[in-house]
This record gives sequence, structure tokens and C-alpha cells, in this order.
Amino acid sequence: MPVDLTVRERILEAGFACVARYGLAKTTVEDVARASSLSRATLYRYFPGGREQLLRDVIAWETGRFFGRLAEAVAGAPDFPSLLEEALLFAHRAVEEHEVLQKVLQTEPERLLPQLTVESERILVFIRRFLVPYLEREELRPDVEPEEAADYVARLLLSFIGNQGRWDLSDPAQVAELVRTELLAGVLVNTPSDP
Amino acid sequence: MTLVGSDRVGTQEQRVIDAALRCIARWGIGKTTLDDVAREASISRATIYRLFPGGKDALLEAITRTELDRFFSGLAQRFDEAPDLEDLLVAGMVYACRALACHEALQFVLAYEPEVVLPKVAFHHADRVLTAISAFAAPYLAPHVGADVAPRVAEWVARLVLTYTLAPADNVDVGDEESARRLVRTFVLPGLESTVKQ
Repeated sequence: MPVDLTVRERILEAGFACVARYGLAKTTVEDVARASSLSRATLYRYFPGGREQLLRDVIAWETGRFFGRLAEAVAGAPDFPSLLEEALLFAHRAVEEHEVLQKVLQTEPERLLPQLTVESERILVFIRRFLVPYLEREELRPDVEPEEAADYVARLLLSFIGNQGRWDLSDPAQVAELVRTELLAGVLVNTPSDP
Repeated sequence: MTLVGSDRVGTQEQRVIDAALRCIARWGIGKTTLDDVAREASISRATIYRLFPGGKDALLEAITRTELDRFFSGLAQRFDEAPDLEDLLVAGMVYACRALACHEALQFVLAYEPEVVLPKVAFHHADRVLTAISAFAAPYLAPHVGADVAPRVAEWVARLVLTYTLAPADNVDVGDEESARRLVRTFVLPGLESTVKQ
């Protein structure tokens, strides 16, 4: 275990590993204490709400990590449309390949989803804040403000990350079309031309 | 619409369903019993079991079906009355948002029993919702945008209604006509032009 992990992070990481192994319903404070090589007393000091708080924070922590990885993956994109394309391709794949998420969605959706719905408000704020500086550098259509456009784009991104609907988000050509039309046609003065 | 045709429930069933919706809005799905519903509907327990032999589960299924019928026939009416594409989109969004936001039973369940409803509509299961809405709305959009892109456009607008209704924004309220119109004019119509142009 890397030495720079704070105690709190060490507990959260152990909690995530326990959820991966036992699921949300069966993970106990004892399991997490054992997995993190810490005492139960220490865990309760960091998570006074016990099991419930610990699991809630594990979900919030992994959600934050997921979107942190996403932000990192797209930060080097050459322009705003490409950034959104990369974000959709990356996030779609990352959701499909997230084994713990897929397992819990399959076996315990009733425990995970209410929590993720609470998290989604925070995620929206995170995506919006991430997008605003990029939008401030673009030429926006008349009457469109960066904040407003960021909120609109963030909402659609999150919606498509959850479910691709009639689109195939593993196909770069379709993703480019989606970004050019639904996400950005009302936002940018110049949207990328047809491929 | 075919949805509200021959399989429309009888008046006695509807009375039970309406009573059950009032109970759920008050106590939630978990705590509502068939006894509660019988009392609320002023009907005997035996009658409820005759109408819904499967008990509470069958009643819940019937509620879902009739509420969806009601939603879609209300939506169809708004679509039929809209003179052009912009009004069709605005009217559809406003109606759908209000139908969700003002549905007391649904709002109670979302707030206090989210574990009952979210697993049926999130991630992969969102297909169910998006597909149903876009299949229903596409024929109304097709004359304006073309039959090939209509399903996608319907799905796009459905996504907007869902996100702005379930996670309300500070300055956008799709249940408000003026606000919905601004959203449609600013972000949707330009996108439609670029979609249809191809």
C-alpha cells in the first residue's frame, strides 16, 4: 500500500475492495478493518456513522475517482468538440468495464442507485465546473452564457454515460455526430463540419 | 391512441387504482396494504381480490399500466394541439415535466422509497423509459424532422425532461412554458437544423 495514502483514503480503498468482494449488503465494519489492517475503533473515529456512513462514503469516493479519471483522460484534447467526444467514448467504455459497478448494478441495484442519485447532483456540479473554462475560450452563439451551456452539456453527458439509448457510443463516428448535433449545435458558433 | 383502447380498465378497477395512488402518496408502496386501499376506495377486500386476483403485485402492475396510459394520452393531446415543431416540443416538455413533478405517488416513492423504482429505470433499464417515450413521440416528430431521425430527436428531448425534472436546475424549469421555450430555441432547434441538414 502506497505510504502517501491518508488513513481515511486507506479505509475507503479497503471498503471499496470489500464491496467488490462481498457486495454492499454483506460488507461489515469488521471486514473493512481487517482489509485495511486498522482497528474497529479507528474506523469508527473516521466514520462515526459506522457501516452506513462508510458505505455511503465509499460510493462517493469511487464516483469521485471515476470522474477524476475521466477529467484526466480528456484534458489533453485539442479542442472542445474533441474533448466531449473523448469524454463520451472513455466514460461509456469505463462504465461497461467497471466490474464492481456492473456487479453491484446486477445484484444490488436497490442499494446502490438511491445513493448514486444523490451523488449525481454533485457530479453535475463537478462536470459543469470542469467545462466552464473550456467554454469561456470558445466562441458561443449569441445569448448563450458559458455557465448555462456547461449545465446543458453536463446534463446530456451524464445522461448518455448512464445509457446510450439509440446511439452506439463505442463508435467514434456516431459519437462525433452526437457531439456535433445534440451537444454543441446550440452552443458553439462553429461546430465541426460533417466527417 | 391504441394504448387507451380495448384494454382500458373498468370503472371499479379505476376506483381502486385511484384509491391506491392516494394511499401510496401518503404512506408509500411498502406500507400500503390492500386493507388500506379497500377502506380508501370504500370497497370490500373481497372485491379487490376479485378485481386483482394477484393481490398487491397485480394492483401495482395495473397502476403502472394505467398511469402510463394516462400519461401518453395526455401527451398525445398536447402534441395534437401544437401548430408547429417548436410548440410541439415545448408543449411536450412542459406536460411531461408537470406530469412527473406533480405525480404525488411517484414523488413520494422517489423521495422515500427510491430503491423500489430506480432499479427499474437506471443504467441499462433506462432503455425501457427512453425507448417507450421515443417510440411514442417519434410519429409526431416525423413530419417535421423526417422519419429517420425522429426517434433520436424524441429520445434527446426525453433525456432533457428527465434531467431537468429529476435534478432541477437553478435557472431552467421545463415545467414552465417560457423556460422550456428558451431551452428549445437555444439548444434544441439549432441542433435539429444540423441533424436534419445532413
